[in-house]
Amino acid sequence: MAPLLCIEKLRVTFRTRYGEVTALDSISMHVNEGETLGVVGESGCGKSITALATMGLIPSPPGRIADGSIQLAGEELIGANSARLRKLRGGDIAMIFQEPMTSLNPVFTVGDQIAEAITLHQNVSADRAFTDAVALLDRVGIPSPDRRARDYPHQLSGGMRQRVMIAMAVSCRPKVLIADEPTTALDVTVQAQIFDLLNEIQRDFGAAIILITHDMGAISEMADRVAVMYAGRVIEEGSADSILDQPQHPYARGLIDCIPTLGRAERTLKEIPGVVPPLHLLGAGCAFAERCAFNDRARCTTEKPRLIDHGHHPAACHGVEESRL
Amino acid sequence: MTRLLEVRDLTVQFALPRPGLFAPKPYLEAVRSVSFSLEKGRALGIVGESGSGKTTTAMAAIRLTAASGGQVLFEGSDLLKLSDEEMRRRRRDVALIFQDPYSSLNPRARVTDIVREPMDLMGIGTREERQARVVELFELVGLRPDQLNLFPHQFSGGQRQRISIARALTTNPRLLVCDEPVSALDVAIQAQILNLLDRLKAELGLSYLFISHDLGVVRHICEDVAVMYLGKIVEAAPCEALFDAPQHPYTQALLSAAPSLARRKSKGYVRPLKLTGDPPSPLNPPKGCAFAERCPKAQDLCRQTQPELSVRGATHVACHFPG
Ligand SMILES: Nc1ncnc2c1ncn2[C@@H]1O[C@H](COP(=O)(O)OP(=O)(O)OP(=O)(O)O)[C@@H](O)[C@H]1O
Ligand SMILES: Nc1ncnc2c1ncn2[C@@H]1O[C@H](COP(=O)(O)OP(=O)(O)OP(=O)(O)O)[C@@H](O)[C@H]1O
Ligand SMILES: [Mg+2]
Ligand SMILES: [Mg+2]
Repeated sequence: MAPLLCIEKLRVTFRTRYGEVTALDSISMHVNEGETLGVVGESGCGKSITALATMGLIPSPPGRIADGSIQLAGEELIGANSARLRKLRGGDIAMIFQEPMTSLNPVFTVGDQIAEAITLHQNVSADRAFTDAVALLDRVGIPSPDRRARDYPHQLSGGMRQRVMIAMAVSCRPKVLIADEPTTALDVTVQAQIFDLLNEIQRDFGAAIILITHDMGAISEMADRVAVMYAGRVIEEGSADSILDQPQHPYARGLIDCIPTLGRAERTLKEIPGVVPPLHLLGAGCAFAERCAFNDRARCTTEKPRLIDHGHHPAACHGVEESRL
Repeated sequence: MTRLLEVRDLTVQFALPRPGLFAPKPYLEAVRSVSFSLEKGRALGIVGESGSGKTTTAMAAIRLTAASGGQVLFEGSDLLKLSDEEMRRRRRDVALIFQDPYSSLNPRARVTDIVREPMDLMGIGTREERQARVVELFELVGLRPDQLNLFPHQFSGGQRQRISIARALTTNPRLLVCDEPVSALDVAIQAQILNLLDRLKAELGLSYLFISHDLGVVRHICEDVAVMYLGKIVEAAPCEALFDAPQHPYTQALLSAAPSLARRKSKGYVRPLKLTGDPPSPLNPPKGCAFAERCPKAQDLCRQTQPELSVRGATHVACHFPG
C-alpha cells in the first residue's frame, strides 16, 4: 500500500540578503495511516519548513518550492490551486503549533472557534457545530466543557489552550495531523498529558501524526518511525527502535547521547561541539563535517553523503558508507 | 561539609491590587514557609510546575525579592537582617544566570564591557586588573580572546549563555543561582553548557541553587533536590534517593511524566501515573494538602490537615501516606 503522505525530493529555497539559500535540500519522508513519524533535529534544520510546505503555507516570496512532490493519498499537493489547499487545511491535514495563543483568535470564545472550523469543512448547522465543539472539548479532557466552551483563550491555562488546538485540529477527522513542537512551552506534567492525548486520538481517529521535536525522549515515547534532519537534509531515517538502538550517523548518535537521563548520572555528557552552520555557509561537503569526530575522509569536506541503507536503516554519512564507524 | 546557605521558614507574599475600594488587600503567598540548606561545593536542584514558586524562593534567598518572613543564613549571617549598605557589600558573593541568554545581555554593549561591568559597579581592582580578569574568564568559559570586542547578536545562543556565565563569575561569587539556564538551548548546546557548569563547580568550588523543570538535567548537575508544589517543598532528598525511590505522589508523577529513552512506543508502555487537572490557585490554597485534589492516594485526612515535612531515611517528605 502506498504511504498516506509521501514527500519526495522536496527542495525549498529562500531569497535572503546572502542570495538564494536552500532550506530543504531534496528531502524525502513518508508517513503511513495510523502511524506516528517523529521528525527530530536541532533548531534551524528545516523541521517547520517541512511542515509548512506540506500545509501549503511556505511564505512566498521569499520562499519557493523549487522542486519535488508532496502527495496525500495519491493527490499531488504541489501546484494544487489555493481553493483546494484551503479545503485540505483543517480538513484532511491539520496542524498544531508550539504556541497555541498565536493560532487562536483572542476575541472569540474557544467553543465558537472550534464550531467555526467545523462549519467550514462540514455541512452542519451552527447549533450542531457548537454541540460537537463541546463534545470535542470533553474528548480532549477539558473539565466542564459546557462552561469552558464559552471562555476566551486568555482565560485558559497553556495546557488547556493546547488541548483546544488539538480539539480544533481533530474536529474534521484529519488524515494527517502535524504537531510542531506542541509541548515546548509546557510543564513536563502537561506535556505528558498532551502526548497521552495524541496517542489516544490516534487510536480513536486513526490519524497519521507527524511529531516535530528536538527531544529524543519524546521520540522514544511517541514515534513509530523517525526522520533525523540536519541543515535542511534528512540524514537518517528508519524505525524508532532501529534508530534509537543503532543510530548510524554520528549526529543521530550525538542527539541520543547528549541528553542527561533520569538514571544514574554519568559525570560528563557527550557533547556535540559547535553549532548548526547557517544555510548560506553550507559548502560542498557534509554539513556536519566540522562538528564531527569522524571527519577524517577527504570526501567529508568535498562531497555530500547520500542517504543509503548500509544494513540497519538509511543514513547519509561517508564514514558509515565505508563502514569504518 | 560546611554549610553555605541555610534557609529557614522563608515566606514571600505579594500584595495584589484591591478588588474594590473598601475590600481588604488580597495577598498571594508564593513561598510558604520553605526551609532548605546548601553545602559548599554542592548543587541543590529546585523542581516543580510553573508557578510553584521556584524563582521566587531563589530570589528571596538572595534578597532580590523581599521576604515576608524567615531567615536566610549565608555563611552564618542572616541576609534578611543586613542593612542595605551591608547587603551591597555582600552582593559580590552571589550571582545569577537566567534562562534567556538573548534578553539578559545588553544588545548595544560589547561583550568585554558586559563581562567587566559588575567589577566596575562594585569598584573591584584597577582597570588593568579588571581587563585581565575578563580575558581570564573568557578562556575559562570556552570563548576566544578575539571575540572580546563583538556584540551579543554576533554569538550563538550557547555562546551567549557562556557570556552570562563569565559575567556572573567576575566577582568570584560563592553562590550561583541558575534559573532554567539551559531551557532555551538546543539539546546539543545544552550538553555543552551543562558540562561547563559542572566543571566550574568543581574547579572553583561553587555552590548552585539550580532551578530547572528538566529532571534529567537536575539529576546530572545536582547532588540534592527539592520538589516544590504551590509554594511549599513537598519532598527534599539527595538525588539518588529521590530519583530511585520517590516518596511523594507528586514526585512520582513528575518522574513518570518526564520523557525518557527507556519508554518505547513499540513496547507499548503505559504511563504508570497520570496527573490530571492543574494545581490549585495560590490565591485560595486548600485547607489540607495542596496536592490532595490531584492525588491518587488522597483520603479525608489529606483534605483536612496539611502534612508537615518529616524524615524518612535520607528523604524529607510532606505527605500523610508517603512511599
Ligand atoms: N522566511 C525565511 N527567510 C529566510 N530563511 C528562512 C525563512 N524561514 C525559515 N528560514 C530558514 O530555513 C531554515 C529552516 O527553518 P525551520 O524553521 O524549518 O527550522 P526548524 O528545524 O523548525 O527549527 P526550530 O527547532 O528552531 O523550530 C532555517 O535555517 C531558517 O533560517
Ligand atoms: N511580582 C509578583 N506579583 C504577584 N505575584 C507574583 C509575582 N511574582 C510571582 N508571582 C506569583 O507567585 C507564584 C510563584 O511564581 P514563580 O515565578 O516563583 O514560579 P516558578 O516556579 O518560578 O514558575 P516558572 O516555572 O513558570 O518560572 C505564581 O503564582 C506567580 O504568579
Ligand atoms: Mg520549528
Ligand atoms: Mg521561574
